[in-house]
Amino acid sequence: MAHGIRVLEDSCRGCVNCIKSCPTEAMRVIHGRAHIIEELCIACGECLRNCRHRALQLAEDPWESISNNKDTVALMVDPSLCTQFLWPPNPDFLIGPLRDIGLEPISGVNSEAFDLAALAVSRAIESADSKDMPLISTYCPAVVRLIQIRFPELLKHLVPVESPLEFGIDLWRIRTQQKELVALAASCPARIAMVHDPVGREVSSAEWAISVARLAKEIRSRGYAKAEIKAPAEGERWVQWGMLGGETLHVASFMNRHLNAIAVSGVRNVFDLLQEVELGLHAEVEFVEARICDTGCIGGIGNAESRFLSQRKIRSQKVRWDRTAREIEMLEKLYRARIWELQRKIEPINRLPLGEEISQAMEKLKEMNAVYAELPHIDCGACGRPSCRAMAEDIVRGRGEVEDCIFKLRKRISGLAEELLLLSRRLVHTVVEDKH
Amino acid sequence: MGEPVLLEFEVKPLDFLAAGEAAEHVKETLKTLGLSSDICRRAAVVAYEAEMNLVIHGGGGRMVLRVEEDRIAIIAVDKGPGIPDLSLAMQEGYSTAPDYIREMGFGAGMGLSNIKRNSDEFEIDTEIGKGTKLVSVIYIK
Repeated sequence: MAHGIRVLEDSCRGCVNCIKSCPTEAMRVIHGRAHIIEELCIACGECLRNCRHRALQLAEDPWESISNNKDTVALMVDPSLCTQFLWPPNPDFLIGPLRDIGLEPISGVNSEAFDLAALAVSRAIESADSKDMPLISTYCPAVVRLIQIRFPELLKHLVPVESPLEFGIDLWRIRTQQKELVALAASCPARIAMVHDPVGREVSSAEWAISVARLAKEIRSRGYAKAEIKAPAEGERWVQWGMLGGETLHVASFMNRHLNAIAVSGVRNVFDLLQEVELGLHAEVEFVEARICDTGCIGGIGNAESRFLSQRKIRSQKVRWDRTAREIEMLEKLYRARIWELQRKIEPINRLPLGEEISQAMEKLKEMNAVYAELPHIDCGACGRPSCRAMAEDIVRGRGEVEDCIFKLRKRISGLAEELLLLSRRLVHTVVEDKH
Repeated sequence: MGEPVLLEFEVKPLDFLAAGEAAEHVKETLKTLGLSSDICRRAAVVAYEAEMNLVIHGGGGRMVLRVEEDRIAIIAVDKGPGIPDLSLAMQEGYSTAPDYIREMGFGAGMGLSNIKRNSDEFEIDTEIGKGTKLVSVIYIK
């Protein structure tokens, strides 16, 4: 199981759709089956979107293990879960349906947890050193992992505030003294990985991860799909985080001045923006909200509802961004308790260099360039690698041979065939040919 | 010491869409050698700015990454108009980029000073009407 994604070996046809769609070139097809190179996978879910054979799936926990649990399981509600139904995205409307499928929602702490996260981010921006600007949100776990793998120089830009979905569960446990096990509603593979392979803390506060799509399916199967609930006048601030820009609005609401922020979503945009940040092109920006899924978490592959419908639902809600004096007093107390803080430093994930010593690595690099020069450079994927360059690297790392390339193989066979022909003519010189 | 590794890039004039690709390639290549992320980043910045100079001013050209055991060199060569006043060009914010390029967000006049800041050795050779050769060296150890 690699980062929230599972390969179903029996369904995999060994086509190249997934390896071509992977933005970090983390996939290979070996012996007709897709494989994920774990240290390169950022759990963005692009491969799931592009698999036509449904051979790639979310590595969520089985619904049965949660629904058959002898005690009630608590559920941490993701903003995108609120947008999956015909009614307005108000978390209160989910309480009944969730209890009906045997889960106890802990969404009650969410408004506080997300408020606290936004407050902590705004404080971090206000006190940040200008050389660490812009600060980058940690809310999207796929973006965090992308930075660990591809942009390690940007790690110091990550705002040291944990996801409110994570510390919100801590807050709920402190408040209620409940010992119940908690499942996290996950809108993408990266959220599943957040539970089973956390970054920034030793162990996740949640025990299980279950997809938003699965929860939506369970709820709909109980006839809730048709339920009509009147829209309340006001939407919750934290539900806005499901949509790109929601976090920025929330952070800005805690600041007494204009916040210079950029919010981008989608793999391509995130890659380009992070590269530009690394090159120093956005030093005057204070905050970057980057989401690997287009439109934000509502665009995650683990949702059931159309991301555009979700977007419309969230937009249709009126949100009050100011808080009462009592709320602020409570937030300040929680802020001082620092439960929002990342518990562990986020470390880079380094790729194994080509050689132990630089001189060795340089020799390998030369070898790699030589191998690459001989390849057809059409990146067809037939060798099971996403590109000729990836193929050349695999070969010098000892994970493949030049003949894995069908063009090289064809050349080799035609060469051998010619040789055979020559040989055959030489061997039968005692037989007189062509007597006609 | 072994032979240096050479990587060469063709840079086309006014090809803003491809700008940054060579920089990313330089960074990823240096990473596979096991160089520290700070060195990779500095080399990427130099490569990016040098590439942008070729795109905007040089009428395209060639960029070479040369890796030796103790240093990397990024060499950018063009057959462009040359730089009339080098000390002026080195100043932050000084730019001769035309308006349409500035409107795209490029040509802010930080290129050469940025390259120099990220280099351990920096050399520029320019002749009016003939072209410019830029050499930036970053020490590995």
